[in-house]
Amino acid sequence: MSSRPPQSDPPAEDYRINFFRPRPGYMRQKVIYIWVLLTSWALFTFGFQLLLAWTAGTPQGEGPLTEITFFGFPLHFWYTGHFLIVWFIVLCFLFNTFVDRLTRAFRPRK
Amino acid sequence: MLAEGFKISPALILFFTLAVFVLAGLFSRVRGGTEYYPVAGARTGIVGAGAAIASNWMSAASLLGIAGIFYLQGYFALAYVIGWTGGYVLLLILLAGQLRRFGKFTAPEFVGERYDSAAARLLSAIIAIIISLIYCVAQYKGIGLIFSWIFGFDYTESLLLGAVVVMGYIVLAGTLGATRNQQLHYAVLIVFFIVPLMFIARELNFFWVLPQFGYGTALRELHGHTRGLFTQPFAHADVFQWCALAFTLMVGTAGLPHVLARFYTAPNLRDARWSVLWGIFFIGLLYWSAPAYAIFAKIWQARRGIVPDLETARESADMIVLLASDWAGMPLWLTGIAATAAIAAAFSTVTGLLITGAGAFSYDIYYRLLNPQASQSQCVRVAKGATLAMAILVVLLAANPPGLIAEITAVAFALAGNTLFPVFVLGIWWDRTNKYGAIAGMLTGISVTFSAFFLPQIFPALQGVLHPTSSALLGVPLVFVVMIGVSLVTPPPPESIRRYLVEKVHTP
Repeated sequence: MSSRPPQSDPPAEDYRINFFRPRPGYMRQKVIYIWVLLTSWALFTFGFQLLLAWTAGTPQGEGPLTEITFFGFPLHFWYTGHFLIVWFIVLCFLFNTFVDRLTRAFRPRK
Repeated sequence: MLAEGFKISPALILFFTLAVFVLAGLFSRVRGGTEYYPVAGARTGIVGAGAAIASNWMSAASLLGIAGIFYLQGYFALAYVIGWTGGYVLLLILLAGQLRRFGKFTAPEFVGERYDSAAARLLSAIIAIIISLIYCVAQYKGIGLIFSWIFGFDYTESLLLGAVVVMGYIVLAGTLGATRNQQLHYAVLIVFFIVPLMFIARELNFFWVLPQFGYGTALRELHGHTRGLFTQPFAHADVFQWCALAFTLMVGTAGLPHVLARFYTAPNLRDARWSVLWGIFFIGLLYWSAPAYAIFAKIWQARRGIVPDLETARESADMIVLLASDWAGMPLWLTGIAATAAIAAAFSTVTGLLITGAGAFSYDIYYRLLNPQASQSQCVRVAKGATLAMAILVVLLAANPPGLIAEITAVAFALAGNTLFPVFVLGIWWDRTNKYGAIAGMLTGISVTFSAFFLPQIFPALQGVLHPTSSALLGVPLVFVVMIGVSLVTPPPPESIRRYLVEKVHTP
């Protein structure tokens, strides 16, 4: 108990839980990770599609990103069909590593 | 075109594979657990638990549906692939740990406990049952198509035969007490799916060692044949529709009751978290491969100058995995193992869904509301009756399938995303959410999901914005607003539950 930061003990009777106003300590740290990872999850997934639409020269979406070839694939196909799944695995890896570390820091006896 | 008589070698392979699964289940049952609460066991480790996630996930939609939608819509179909993998990231980051800490094992149990309301519990149980039913319809369509190919009956007869075989399989496995050996199940399915693909790639002169990469060259060849109509990103739908579909499938994955249940089966929370990483990898192995079937089928047709009209293409889409193999001149047994993989995936999914749905009915509706004095054996009888009733209902619905396998499945995801996902997220992350908000939110979610079927016809402005498979991009924000608004104007939830959230759910 002594190794916990003092501010992690909330005043009694305060049971507020709000994703946008996380409780100090463990929960705040975790919510920061969640924000970072969710942002990159959304940017890599939907941001890329918006980028494709933005750079498209024709209604079908033909543009610089579809002209490039990568691993034999048109780049947009390779990115969405292959790479994004790899990126999801990386995000899970980062999240798990962060949370493992956070749990160790807040739970010194275990 | 497909139902050309009885095919002996695929039938034998199917029979032996299912027999092996039952036998293996008999040997693994000593480790405990049931189909309802499967126990992964410490021995399998996080890789084994990941394979279990994948085996639990893989259904006819993954094995037949993705290739089918790909064959029709090219790049747009990648929204399915991304939705069905990215959803696990959302689930892991936002919900998994907290839900497990909460300690309730099914969606109705969580809703009933968190919102302290029998009505909310009933509503979520009904939603879980509807999700199971819709999901099962898609599986039965796959079973019907493949049985039709193996046994040479027409679709309706094959569907009935398939339904009888599924029930027989459930009863047999249940009576023998066989649990599914998930690791074996996954390994057999993925090998049976990828080996025919390698042979097809070799036959068509593409890089066959890793056909997942080999189809890149095929894509570029196809680009030449179709002048980009197939490969370009927005050839079939615009960027909004792509994002709406992917978002719907992601939130649906994070809200799907039978997916959530997996987080309770690992020995501890840390293993559960790490097994998701392996789960996505194992699911990815399948989703990296499935588009290749569709591309190879397209190439085969394009090289011969065959341009099927839309009607024909739509009819053959859900069988494209078998057709690709057939067209490339593969022997029957090779096509047969791909068919067996699809059947095995559909069987296990149907089993899991019918049991989940029947459990929701017998426990959350019958025992909790209708007859609280019911004995254990009465509940079991009700669950068996509910399983049978659901199976019959599904056959009736699947007799005239309303869409492609992937599309039907996507509707189940839209429902889960519009109702259970907001109820989970707000229930975990905002203590002020109360039962009134939850009930209003779930009702709004149901309305949005099903109004997507007819509203666009009435209001043409909604066409291309609201679609049955993609309603959650509009639905989820709307349900969040409704839940927050209603919760704020009604009394807060009991203090005990808010205290539980602080002390148990959001602590290390």
